[in-house]
Amino acid sequence: MKTFEKLSILADSAKYDVSCSSSGSDERIKYGGIGATHNSGICHTFTSDGRCVSLLKVLLSNSCIYDCSYCINRVSNDRKRASFSPRELAKLTIEFYKRNYIEGLFLSSGIIKNEDYTMELLITCLKILRYEYGFDGYVHLKLIPGSSKELIDIACSLASRVSSNIELPSSKSLKLLAPQKSKETVLGPLIIARDLSLKKSKKPILMSTQMIIGASDDSDFDILKTASILYEKALLKRVYYSAYVHVNVGANLPIIPQSTPLLRRENRLYQADWLLRFYGFKYDELLDTQQQNLDLNLDPKTFWALNHLEHFPIDINKASKEQLIRIPGIGIKGAFKILKARRYKTLNLEDLAKLKISTKKAKYFILDRGKYQKEVPLYKENLQLALLSPSPKLIQPLLFDENYAALSGEI
Amino acid sequence: MRIVYDGSFEGFLCVVYAVYYKKIRIQEIFTHSSFSLLSFDAYEIQTDTIQAKKVLNTLHARFEKTHYERITHIFLCDSVHVEKELLEYIILGFKDQKYLENITIPSIFRLHELQKEFFRLVHKMYGFVRFVELEDGNLYAKIETKFNVLPFLGKHFCKRLASNNFIIHDIKRKLAFVKSEKSTQMRVVQSFEEPTHSSDEAHFSNLWKVFFQSVAIKERENKKLQQNFVPLLYRKYMSEFS
Repeated sequence: MKTFEKLSILADSAKYDVSCSSSGSDERIKYGGIGATHNSGICHTFTSDGRCVSLLKVLLSNSCIYDCSYCINRVSNDRKRASFSPRELAKLTIEFYKRNYIEGLFLSSGIIKNEDYTMELLITCLKILRYEYGFDGYVHLKLIPGSSKELIDIACSLASRVSSNIELPSSKSLKLLAPQKSKETVLGPLIIARDLSLKKSKKPILMSTQMIIGASDDSDFDILKTASILYEKALLKRVYYSAYVHVNVGANLPIIPQSTPLLRRENRLYQADWLLRFYGFKYDELLDTQQQNLDLNLDPKTFWALNHLEHFPIDINKASKEQLIRIPGIGIKGAFKILKARRYKTLNLEDLAKLKISTKKAKYFILDRGKYQKEVPLYKENLQLALLSPSPKLIQPLLFDENYAALSGEI
Repeated sequence: MRIVYDGSFEGFLCVVYAVYYKKIRIQEIFTHSSFSLLSFDAYEIQTDTIQAKKVLNTLHARFEKTHYERITHIFLCDSVHVEKELLEYIILGFKDQKYLENITIPSIFRLHELQKEFFRLVHKMYGFVRFVELEDGNLYAKIETKFNVLPFLGKHFCKRLASNNFIIHDIKRKLAFVKSEKSTQMRVVQSFEEPTHSSDEAHFSNLWKVFFQSVAIKERENKKLQQNFVPLLYRKYMSEFS
């Protein structure tokens, strides 16, 4: 089989893995040949579905002995199978890298023969890249659940980031949709990697995971709870959420007529995830056992603010950074601008606009010159209505539009 | 007074010199290129290397590092005219460095935002530059950008392509960043002939196109979102879009 066909099959098989970030790794040179990493990560292009392409994301092989019902590569699917040799893939990575197509490699694989055999093949590819080409760029390696501790140790020492997808947020859903996997086996590699890198007491290896959204009946509360536990306990750097794409037919799988609300839900989960990681929110502030799901129409911060009006309105001239970033519509950058600018003068709503901070949402939650705005009273129902009502659109008259002429009095 | 200068960084430093040593009060600043038809009633500032050096040294000594660097970054934003803001920035800076972080002053805010825009472009180009391999094994890239990001791109790729020689060619500005075994330098491109690609080049650029198409999820196509991230003007030299 030619490289063209292999690449097309193996990239296609890997595309449902959403992680493609290349950020957060240190910029030291270790292997001394080609390549470097960049702390903030770099997008090299964007696909026609609007996702960033940063890494050469492929499977080493799409053959798999497992039969997970949501997965396109499950053994019972009649699909064309292909495999790269480790050397072939290493060469391809270098050729792509030097043309600046990519930041590095994202390597995963279906399970060939058994877990350890697969893990060894992945490691061989990494060794060629690191030792033969001296590649210092970014490599994200998928740890194969169930592979041995020794192999995971080697993998962690060669990769910039490792991950293992927990796929579903609860054991119950795993049992239903991926009967050959259990919470222990999917979390296993992450726990081993964490313990190993803590023992070595250097900078711990960066880890991430992915959960599928909407393939099971887990609520947003379950998902965010699992994510925050992973952030706190397992030292994970990122949790990715992937709206379920209907690639297989199966008795236990949901039937989804259209995917738009699911994509919206994925988006809201990412927003909530940001609130957990950067805005100092706790998962049980955003949701609880009463309110189990995020609002699809409002972003999670606005949703939280409407349910906690006792914290508002906030005086932007006095509030701390922690309070400022809790105002809907004001992000980290906006908060820093406010902190910087208010050293020189007392800020009002117009000043925010001049500093290019959006006040569309924020104006309902702050004091302007010590006063609260008068149009909408500070009650949940009123504010919700105001926030959801579409902003008035300007009339775009067509040339020689008669109705417009009637409106403006022109002939 | 309306003044006109040659548009170069040295020229601008001489404008600063004129303000301080010749006590000229400036209302408007033009460059030769933008001013050719209106060249009446304007005082022309001659570019003088000694004056420029003197101003540059003073700026270097009196300004904090980040404030000093902002001036040079702003000057790389060569497609916008912010000379007046920059002059005000320098005058305020000589009075007191702490003015230069006061983003409630419109001209200071404008320069802060422009600097951010500049680095956003630099960052975008880190990803969007595409090299081709030439016959002799060297790498070659063409760029056309709103601001002069070439020095930053050069530095960035020196780090990652340590074992390769490369050229980044800024088509519009007729500049090139050239890295070889012996030296690293910026050059003016006087004449230019389209170089011949290596025999492998077409193979790998086609593989890249195949990869680019295979990773897209068709059920989720969103061309508008894609265009937000990669506006058409960046696509000219990106092989996956050709």
